[in-house]
Amino acid sequence: MSTSPGRAGSREPIPPFSTDAANPLGIQGVEFIEFAASRPQALGRVLAMMGFELVAMHRSREVALYRQGDMNLVVNATATTGMPHDDEPRIAAIALRVGDAQAASDHVIERGAWGTSPHPGAMELNIPAVHGVGGSRIYFVDRWRDVSIYDVDFLPLPTAQRHPPAIAGAHWFGIVQYVGVDRSADWTAFYRELFAFRELAGGERFGVLPRGTLLRSPASPAGAGFMIQLVEPRQLVSSEREMFQRIGIGVPDVPAAVRQFQERGVEFLQAGGVQPSACGAVTRTYLGSVMFELVRSIGDDRP
Amino acid sequence: MTSSPLSSFGMDTITLAGPLETKLAVMKAAGFSQVMLKSDDLCGHPQGVDAAQAAVRASGLRTTGFQVLRDFEGLPAPLHAYKIEIAKAMLRLCAGLGGDVLLVCSSTSPHASEDREHLARDLRKLAMLALPLGIRIAYEALSWGRTINEFPDAWDIVCRADCPNLGLGIDAYHLFASATPLARLDELVAEKIFLVQLSDFMWQHTASFEERKATARSFRVFPGEGVHSHELSELVLRLDALGYRGDYSFEVFNDDYVNLPPPMVAERARASALWLAEDVLRLPAPLPVGPAVAE
Repeated sequence: MSTSPGRAGSREPIPPFSTDAANPLGIQGVEFIEFAASRPQALGRVLAMMGFELVAMHRSREVALYRQGDMNLVVNATATTGMPHDDEPRIAAIALRVGDAQAASDHVIERGAWGTSPHPGAMELNIPAVHGVGGSRIYFVDRWRDVSIYDVDFLPLPTAQRHPPAIAGAHWFGIVQYVGVDRSADWTAFYRELFAFRELAGGERFGVLPRGTLLRSPASPAGAGFMIQLVEPRQLVSSEREMFQRIGIGVPDVPAAVRQFQERGVEFLQAGGVQPSACGAVTRTYLGSVMFELVRSIGDDRP
Repeated sequence: MTSSPLSSFGMDTITLAGPLETKLAVMKAAGFSQVMLKSDDLCGHPQGVDAAQAAVRASGLRTTGFQVLRDFEGLPAPLHAYKIEIAKAMLRLCAGLGGDVLLVCSSTSPHASEDREHLARDLRKLAMLALPLGIRIAYEALSWGRTINEFPDAWDIVCRADCPNLGLGIDAYHLFASATPLARLDELVAEKIFLVQLSDFMWQHTASFEERKATARSFRVFPGEGVHSHELSELVLRLDALGYRGDYSFEVFNDDYVNLPPPMVAERARASALWLAEDVLRLPAPLPVGPAVAE
């Protein structure tokens, strides 16, 4: 060991590769959200109701790409875990658009994220990723402008539109994450330290749920970001696992969007404090675990 | 719900002789409901890690915590990368036990930095690694630690790192060995104390690091058996007054105790816990249980 004690302190933190201190990863939005599903066709029917069209299939694996507007949803039938409830679809990954995927991955790993194994993941692409909540992954994608990651390994369906329009102006708004009892502070620190998310002030709320901690991603340009809502269980003792629980979809006019989705067959919860309102609406649970939340999101309210 | 006066106290596996299953059974028989485990308990188990974890689960004992990650913070690049891999392996073992506290001792490494910001940055990174697994990091000042060897210094590092799942581990032995004034406990925040380990020893002073190390590893005794009983009482009363309601674990390394029948040693631990619960802390006695109605 050649390092002398006097030089031991010379290991400096890796300087941020971005000059934007508020957005060191250069986050520019969400590229895709991935579901793992053992019955992908059943999930596909739910996604179709929600306005997502099947646009491409992976060349060699049972992985499907759904799309509406700027939202890409990947359904991966090969990423089952052998865990309990494996027959229910789960949100397995979120992919962030960043300026430099490898640099972003290095940045968060240097600060304590768990890198994933180097072999290509579900997408068969070597996309850098780190572990997120409950066995999920957070991918970093920098090919999304002219050449996309789907151009390489996906075959477009000849009959499908490549860019089906969004229903009711739908766009990514955020994701609800279930956390354990007294774990909101931990996860807030996680997203702040690694991804430079900011916790919203107490009074600022979106959607229908009155509780939870709201975190906003940095994003460039403004309005391309997304939110994470941390929700602790109501009971002190809970068997609920920590996980990404549901996707929030932003729409400019919630009641109008609810009507459009209802015409497509989507059912919304009407009970308790979550009945559809101008602020938001929550669908019923499909396939035991899949639900979506509509959130009013327009102009300056876009995350 | 009634709780046993022993419910706040647990033993460390390092105090007892024998295989893991015997240690767990003996602790349970002595009335304890929690156990502090060491990585050897898992990795040295003849049937492997999975079998050891299954034995812990089958015992019904709660895991107080898992020990110990050493010489982690402040290392230069190649050593740091190596130590991160060790830390990740320890975290996986801890998570496999359902343990929520990993004990980390302040570094003794001559290769480690003395820069407190560097130490804090590394511990913050460790806390981030632990966070998705639901593990909290208890950072403890070893009384022969190179830069951090008294708990107020460890507290300074914890405050600098400022991470919700990074807190302090307090070990009574090291306080007595370094003769840190107990009044300084009042500077702490109870919620940031993640673990308290208790033990005593048989002489007043340990002047050199070497003497502290030798005493710590061979001659510790249970609270109430050593010469610092008064200070030990004051320590738990101060922590109690501060609002600490977490676990107390008996960290008793003793060469004689690992050469005695485990039940005999566990009885000494039980007597120590009862002394602390009933005579020192004066915890409320459990409500009497009514007679069984039906046979």
